[in-house]
Formats: sequence, C-alpha cells, structure tokens
Amino acid sequence: MILKKAGFIFEGVINSYAVLFFSNHKLFAYLLLAISFFNPAAGLAGFIAVLTAVFTATTMGFNAASTKAGFYSFNALLTGIGFGSFFESSPVFFFLLILASLFTLVLSVTLGGVLGKYGLPFLSIPFIITFWIILLATKEFSNLGLSQRNIYWINEMYAVGGKPLLSLFNTIESLPLPKWLSTYFRALSAIFFQDNILSGFLLSVGILVYSRIAFSLSLIGFFGAYLFNDFTGAYQAGINSYHLGSNYMMIAMAIGGFFAIPSVYSYLWAFFSVPITNILVISLSKVFGVFLLPIFSLPFCIMILLYLYFLKMRVFVGKLVLTPIQHYSPEINLYQFKNGSERLKNEYYFKFNLPVIGEWVVTQGYDGNITHKEDWSKALDFMILDHQLKSYSGKGTSLENFYSYNKPVLAPGDGYVQEIVDYIEDNPIGEINREQNWGNSIVLYHTTGLFSKLSHLKKNSFIVKQGDYVKKGQVLAYCGNSGRSPEPHLHFQIQATPYIGSKTLAYPISYFYQSDGKEIEYKTFSTPQEGTFVANININKLLQQAFAFQPGYSIKFKEGNMIETWTVYTDAYNQTYISCKENNAVAYFVNNETVFYFTNFYGSKNSMLYQFYLSIFKVVMSYMPQVTLNDVLPLSVVQAPFIKLIQDFVAPFVQLIKPKYMLNYTSIDDEHFTSEITLESVIEIEAIGHKRIFRTSQVILNNGRLNQLVIKQAGKERTFTCVE
Amino acid sequence: MSKLKYESPVIKKMNAGLMNKFGTRTEYQPLKHIDGVAVKDMIAKYGSPLFVLSERQMRNNYQAALRAFKTRYPKVQFAWSYKTHYNNAVCNVYHQEGSWAEVVSGFEYHKALQNGVPGNKIIFNGPDKSIEELNEAIKNDSLIHIDHFDELYTLIELSEKLTKKPRVAIRVNMDTGIYPMWDRFGFNYENGTAWNAITKIVASGKLNLVGLHCHIGTYMLAPWAYATAASKLCDLAWHAKNQLNNPVQYLDLGGGFPSANTLKGAYLPGSDTVPHIEEFAEAIASTIIAYGFKPDELPLLILESGRALIDDAGYLLGTILANKRLSDGRRATIMDFGVNILFTSFWYDHKISPAQDFTHHSEDQVLYGPLCMNIDVIRESVNLPLLNKGDQVVVHKVGAYNMTQWMQFIAMRPNVIMIDMKGDTHLIRQKETLQYLEMLEEMPQHLKEFKL
Repeated sequence: MILKKAGFIFEGVINSYAVLFFSNHKLFAYLLLAISFFNPAAGLAGFIAVLTAVFTATTMGFNAASTKAGFYSFNALLTGIGFGSFFESSPVFFFLLILASLFTLVLSVTLGGVLGKYGLPFLSIPFIITFWIILLATKEFSNLGLSQRNIYWINEMYAVGGKPLLSLFNTIESLPLPKWLSTYFRALSAIFFQDNILSGFLLSVGILVYSRIAFSLSLIGFFGAYLFNDFTGAYQAGINSYHLGSNYMMIAMAIGGFFAIPSVYSYLWAFFSVPITNILVISLSKVFGVFLLPIFSLPFCIMILLYLYFLKMRVFVGKLVLTPIQHYSPEINLYQFKNGSERLKNEYYFKFNLPVIGEWVVTQGYDGNITHKEDWSKALDFMILDHQLKSYSGKGTSLENFYSYNKPVLAPGDGYVQEIVDYIEDNPIGEINREQNWGNSIVLYHTTGLFSKLSHLKKNSFIVKQGDYVKKGQVLAYCGNSGRSPEPHLHFQIQATPYIGSKTLAYPISYFYQSDGKEIEYKTFSTPQEGTFVANININKLLQQAFAFQPGYSIKFKEGNMIETWTVYTDAYNQTYISCKENNAVAYFVNNETVFYFTNFYGSKNSMLYQFYLSIFKVVMSYMPQVTLNDVLPLSVVQAPFIKLIQDFVAPFVQLIKPKYMLNYTSIDDEHFTSEITLESVIEIEAIGHKRIFRTSQVILNNGRLNQLVIKQAGKERTFTCVE
Repeated sequence: MSKLKYESPVIKKMNAGLMNKFGTRTEYQPLKHIDGVAVKDMIAKYGSPLFVLSERQMRNNYQAALRAFKTRYPKVQFAWSYKTHYNNAVCNVYHQEGSWAEVVSGFEYHKALQNGVPGNKIIFNGPDKSIEELNEAIKNDSLIHIDHFDELYTLIELSEKLTKKPRVAIRVNMDTGIYPMWDRFGFNYENGTAWNAITKIVASGKLNLVGLHCHIGTYMLAPWAYATAASKLCDLAWHAKNQLNNPVQYLDLGGGFPSANTLKGAYLPGSDTVPHIEEFAEAIASTIIAYGFKPDELPLLILESGRALIDDAGYLLGTILANKRLSDGRRATIMDFGVNILFTSFWYDHKISPAQDFTHHSEDQVLYGPLCMNIDVIRESVNLPLLNKGDQVVVHKVGAYNMTQWMQFIAMRPNVIMIDMKGDTHLIRQKETLQYLEMLEEMPQHLKEFKL
C-alpha cells in the first residue's frame, strides 16, 4: 500500500520535470532531473518543492491522473529551482520553500479550475505569481539572504564533483564554439536558471530525443528572436539568455508543436509569435521594472492564452488544427491526427445503405442534368438495367416489362416513417405527372435534422404506415412509376427537413459496391456515381462470426512454445479493445457490423498481438474477391530509425514514408455456406517514391474463428495457431 | 428473279376474314437466321436434322432469371438441372454464369463432378441413390435431398461411423392448390410426415439438416402456388429453428417454371398465357421476406430451374422429305426428324417455321417424322405454308429435355451445335454412327456365323 503510494508520488515527481517541456518522456524527465542538480542547491530545492506539491495533492485527494502526470506540481518545480537559485539555504529558506511550493499548488489547482472551463492551460502562471509575491515579501526577511551561488558557481561545482567535473566544465566552457551556438545552449540552461553550456547541450540532446519537431521549433524561436532584434536594431533588451529560453524558444515549441497539430501553418504562427513576444518582453519588463520584478515567462503565458482562446473562437477549423487529443509528443500528435483524419473521419456519419436489393444502376446522380438541379441537385435515381443497358424486356410498352417495376424498396437506415403519400396513380410508360411530381413517396426520420425520401413508388404498395419504426433493410414499398417519372425508377434523397418537397442534402452512402461494368470497387462513405452499377455489401457469416469479438470473448494463440491469451474488454468510453494477458499489450478496435478495424496499439512490438494488429488492420465483413481493401497505417510501424528521424524533422510539411495496408480476399470454400476463408494482407512502405513490401500475412478463418496467421517478414516466417 | 416454286393446286374452304385487297395472309414469318447464322449454312455444314443451341439466349435467360430474384431477395443461388440438358458444353455455360449443379442420378452426379463442379455445390435429388452414390456424396460434402424414410434410415446408418455429419435436406410435397398434386416425391407437409422426417433427422444427431426442398410440379402456370409452397417451407424452417433449435440454411423451391411453349390442348398459345419469371420471383421472394425471419437470418433461396432457362435457346433444324395427300384429302408433310429426337412433341404443339421464303398460301396439314412407326407425328394439324421436298424448317423452343430424353430408335441422333456469343458455331455433340451404336454390343460365339 505504502509502496504503491510511494511509487505513485515518485511518478508524479518525475513527470513534473518532463511536463516543463510538454513531454511525458521518462528518459527525458530523468535527464532534466539530473540537469537541475548541476546547481545542487537549486536542484534540491526544486526536488523538495515538487515532492511537497505531489505529496500534498495525493494526500488531499486531488485528481489522481493529473497528479500523476505532474500537472499540479511542475510549477512548484520551477518555484523550487528559482528559490534555490536566488536564495541562500537556511532554515527560513526551507520553511519558505515549502510554503511557496504549497502556494504554487493552490494556485495551480485554482487556475486549473478557472481556466479549464475555457479549455485553457494555466502554464507557468502559478510560478510567476508565487515568485513575485515571494520576491516582494522577502525583501523584509532579513534572515533569508540572497544567494551568490550564481556568481560563484565554480565553487559549488567543485564541492559536488571535485576536480574531474570542474575540469570537464571548464573544458566545455572554453570550447571555441560560435557565439550563437553557445548562446543557444546557455539560453536552454536558463530555463533552469542556469547559465552554462553543458546543461544547455544536454537539454538540447534531451529535446532532440524527445521530439525532433520540438527541437526544430526551439531553433526557430532562437533564431527568430535574433533576426527580429537585428531587424529592429533594438539594443539587446529582450535578448538575454533567460528570455531566449523561457519565452521565445518555449513559445515556438508550444505554438508550433504542442497546442496545435504541427504543420506549415503552426510553424508560421510559431515564427511570427516570436517578435510579438519580443515586444511583450520589452514592454512588460518596463512596466514590472518599476516594481523591480522580473517578468519571467509572463509574455509566454499571455501569448499562449491569447493564441489558444483566439483560435478556439473559430467557427470552422481551417488548416491550423488545435491538438484534439494530447499525446504529449508533437510527433505522436501529428501522426495520430493524420492517420485518424485519413481513416476515421467518417465514423460520425449516420450509416445509410442503398435502398434496394441487388444490382441497380445510378441513372441520374448528384447534379444530374435531367431533374437533379438547384435545391434538389443532391439526389440519386436508380433503375435496373440489363447487360445491354436496357431497362425492360419485351416491347417495353407496359409497366410489367420494366425490370425496376414492382421491385422492393428498402429503408436505407433505421428510423420512423414520417410521411407517406400512397394515392397517386402509376403513369403509363412515357407519360409523366407534373401536378404531383414526386408521386407516391415516403419520408423517413432518422435523427434530428436527417431525413431520407424515396419517391415514384407503386400505388398501394406500402407495407409500412406512418409512425412505424423501420429497421435498415426492411421492405417499405415497391418501385412504381408515379409522379414525374416516364418509366419506373426510384428517386432517393437525404434531406434536413421532413417534407416531401424538401431540398436535398449531400450525404454519403456508408458502404457499397460500385462497378463501371469492368471493375468492381468497394466504396466507403461516398456518393454513387452516375452511370455505375451499385449494390449493397453482403455480409459473410463466417467473417462476421470470426470478427465478432464480443466483450468477454477470449482466444489463445500459439507460436512454438509461446502462448498469448487475448481477451476483449470495453472501457468507460465504450471503446473495445483486446488485451493480452501475458504481456499487457492492448489493441483498440472498432467493429461496426460491416467493418472491423484497429485504431490503436499500445505495448510490445514483439508480441503476437502486434502482429495480429498489423495483419488484420482492417477487414470488411464481406467476401470481396475482386477487391483490394486499402488503408493507411500509422508511421509507428516503420522500423527504419534513420529515415524516421528525417521524417520527424520534416513531418509538419511533407510525409516521406507512407506505410500502406492492403487486404485481399484470396479464397473461400463456399460463398453461401462458408466454412473457410483465406485473407492476405500486405504492408507496403513507400519511402520517397520507392515502394517496398514490408510484410505479408495470410489469415485463415475456419471453425467460425480466426484459426491461423502466417506472417512473412524480412525472409522469416512465423505461424500463429489458434489453440482455444 | 428465281423460278417460282410449283405448288399443287388445292380447293380450300373459304374462311371469312376481314375484307382486304390482298386476300388472307398467313401469320408465318420465315426464320432464316439464328443469332445471325444462316439456317441454310448450318444444315449444309452439319447436316440435317440438327439441334442448334444459342449460347447468347442461354446466358440472357439465366441473367434475366437471376436478376428477377436478386433484385427481390438478397441471397439467391441457381442450380442447373442436369436432367433438363446435360450436355457438358451446356452445363458449363450455366456453371460459368455461377450455377451449381442439381442432379438426380449417379451418372449425372459424376458428370457434374467431371465438369469441375465442387462436390459441396452439387445438389443430389431423386428417389434412387445407391449406397455407393450416397457414400460418395457424403464424402464430397454434397447436399443430399432425402426422398423417403428408407433413404433417411440408410443415411443415418451410413453416418454412424462418420465424424463429420452429412449435409442433408428433405424434399417436401404439399398441397399448393394446384392439380395434379405431386405427392410421390418426398415427405408430405399436410399430414405431418415432413415434420416427422425433420424431427427424426435432428434427433438422430447424425445428419446435419441444412435445407428444405420442394418441387411442386412442372410447367407451372400459377405463380401463387409458389407463394403457398414458400410459405409452407418457411413454416417448417421456422419450427425447425424454434422448436428443434436447428435453423435451416436454405430453402430450395425447385423448378417447374414454364417456357413459352404451348401445351397440347391449350386454348391460347403459351407465349400469351405463360407468366413471366418475374412473377414467380415476386411470389417466392416476397413470401419469404414477409415471413418474419431476421434480415441476417434469411435463408438462402435455391432454384433449380431448367426448362425456363434453356427451352427457347434450342432449335431443331430439319428438312422436308416428301409430302402427300392422306385418304381424307388432308395434306401430310414428312420431315427428316421425328418423335425419337423431338420427344417434347408428345406434350407441346411446337411452333415450326419454314426457313426460306414461301408464298402466301397455307394449308392445314399433318407433320410426320421419318420413322416407320405410326406414333411418329410431330403436329396433328397445323396451318403452314406449303412445304416441298428439300425445304427446311426450324422447330422452336426445343432446348429442354429433348437432348436428354431422345431415343436412338430407327434413326440415330443428329449433331448438336452451339452458336457462341460471337456467332461462331461449335459442334458440341457428334451425330451417332453405327459403330457408336454397336460399341456396347456383344456377340455370343455361336451366333457369329450364319448362312442364308
């Protein structure tokens, strides 16, 4: 129990270090902890302050997740380091340090509550306020002396590391570095109230390890400030190491890579926010100079709050997207966002099917030139045509000759029957009824502001009545030739209002086949094109059964002597995931009855679950022999460190590596009574125009489940067999 | 202008029609080309008589039938009825289109296997299946449609030692309101025998009841009878699922859809009275959909249509051998094909068209075949233009059953050709020869020689 609590507090403390740089990278956090101890008193003070804050937050029952992530305590860390850097240690010092730390915590929680309502972060404001108060007050405390350690830091160094450390320090300090480079390092170290090249250098390496994007942004902040200063000819008022580090470089990293999804636009914002911050630094310094108060990172905080609130007020999110889900890494934020927007953008659509059985032809599509015009342009007309593209057999003089006539019309989605018109005579062939131009029609209510309408139905053919609840795929009525219809056809439109004459709304059909007569394509969330043959997806029972993965379902896979047990769970947000008992790997998936796909994987890449995740990244539950199913994989699957490093640097601008997932349905024993299906998935990596097969896998389904996986990668073959 | 034909004069009773200055006309049109290939050329190349099959028409028929069902019902499978026409080329046309095979004997079963139909896509029907055939069907995972209790018991016995359950269905006969009621095949619905058979199968635990089959008759003119049949099969399926916890995966409505041939004794021609396949599709599909199965539990609908898919794709070309006057003054035309190869002329009044131009005179006449047997009558009385020796005729809609029920009797069976999609002709069955005929004959030693 105590051990567990201690572990929790320790996590909170460590995380507080990384959070300073918007990270949750553990290694980076340890590095920062070590760097803070280059000034031992400051490091110790910082550590004590964080410990105090985390301990208090934990004991007093604040949000465990936030406490553990270090959100409530990173300000205390800054306060502590500041304290240790500015004041001489003494009993009063420690007493005040703890008070200040607690005060920072109070401010952090309070500001977190206040600003949180607006979706804004409190940044380092608690530290700034606390430190101002302390600075103003301590002038009266005679027992607390100002430290001179910052001046005589070599003594300190000697005391800690003896001669070797000192000589290392001296060597580094006296390296013939260009001025800008040494300034860059010093600026970074100034974030910890230090002024030396070694800490700066280590910090820059840490940032580089944690994020290439953050690193490049730190350079933008640094050089941006320099350039602006040169340009304005200002005396180096705004350019001291502290401001370079804590304001310009931090603002560039925050705006360019953390709070927004890194892109050309976020980089431009980052670049231009530097001079504005510079102006703020100069002007605020003048104001606060009156009270003899340093402004610390106040300009940074003001800029970020303004920037975020300003962008949040937009009605339409343009190219600059504020980070929707924070992963504490600019790279992960970017890659997840890109992958998500390519793969999952359609999940929020209401899922419509085609309102017909079998293969029909879209005889008039959106913006068709016969009747789909103006307010009614986003509609679809369907007819059945034969291979000669004729709509009838025989003479074509009576309604019965037409293939479309008297064919069942289905509900495209679940909903209530809003309205029915069922009294209009079907026209003889070639005649139209312009008085009642929609003919017999039905309007379905699917959800608020989403209706669908089917028109030109056969008189007296309705099977449902007004107010009925209908399920997707249920027969509503039969296709006829009423209204403005010279020959039997079906008119289908989505609309936002419940009337028969309502204007149309462009809205995609979720899943369907489309064929131009030669090639069959599988379409998702798109609009059937005029002149193509279309049909609904038919679900294969075996695929459906094998991928059902109900919560509680458990399956074991074996490779040689290795066994992994996978169990399906749902989390509090109703997301489903597979968790491996043996190695705790977790793979999140979605199964919407038509498509099964993985959304995320966490855990060891050596696990079988990871291979499984790659092998069936996405499967449509219909056997589609002529179709290759495509998807885009996250960059994390790529295992080439050097290319990935370059990719990370240029990620906001261009994607050099594209991992593609392709699935083929290779064999089936029987389309109707399926007992075995083989799937083959290929992952192809396209890097700078060069394509390479990364891995292939064969997935065998039988006995109603996933039975075998054979994976070929880098000349090696692995076979997983389902054992239970 | 070629020399006009001689037609012997005949005194004809005046038929009062509408007055017009051209006199009465025949309704006939000559049929000189089939799918763009000249009848004359085909006879010249392959001889007379000659069976001609149109691949285009077969595919069109299949696609139209499939469309009629598939635009009404989500899961449809056709199985080609081998007994209707089991020439391998013909079967393969339907297999290429996606048809399974429906067979009713061991040799048809092997034919289907040889054609490359996977065992699990063969439906084995009929009352006569030997132990060996049943064992083979079990081994190949074919769908065995049980006809009687004796067969059911045999199957249970055969499956005693097996680990894998054979897939079976029962054939159900029932009163669908039509006459005659076919009750000789399968188990009766009304008297509970069908349900009895179902419970026996499920209780045995040895067989996997996957489907229900019926075939209510042949040349059916009443689509509503299929609605009744479908509804009764649904009843059985529903109870099998709910009472026995054994959902059936398919309903096989059999075949029996008519072609547009005219039955003997019919008052109006078949082309005017026969319902379109769309009407049968509507009756069957809407009944099953409305029955109340959950959309994803709808059974597969299997159809074994044969005649409706091939009858009008087959033609018989022939040549006039002679014509004569009968004692009562009727005209008789003797052709080079008879009931031995046109078996369906026992049931149908086949439409026959001359294959060349003719004058506007026509006369009621008897059409005889070439056999030296009194039964060899193709049409007892048909009004046709006057045909002379050497003239050619085309018999329509002969694709179904003729090339399986034909007899080698007096005359041998002729060539069968198929016109492909491009209009090229292919010989798909050679005409028989004496050598072929005697191939299976054996001569006892003591009969080898004789002196006359």
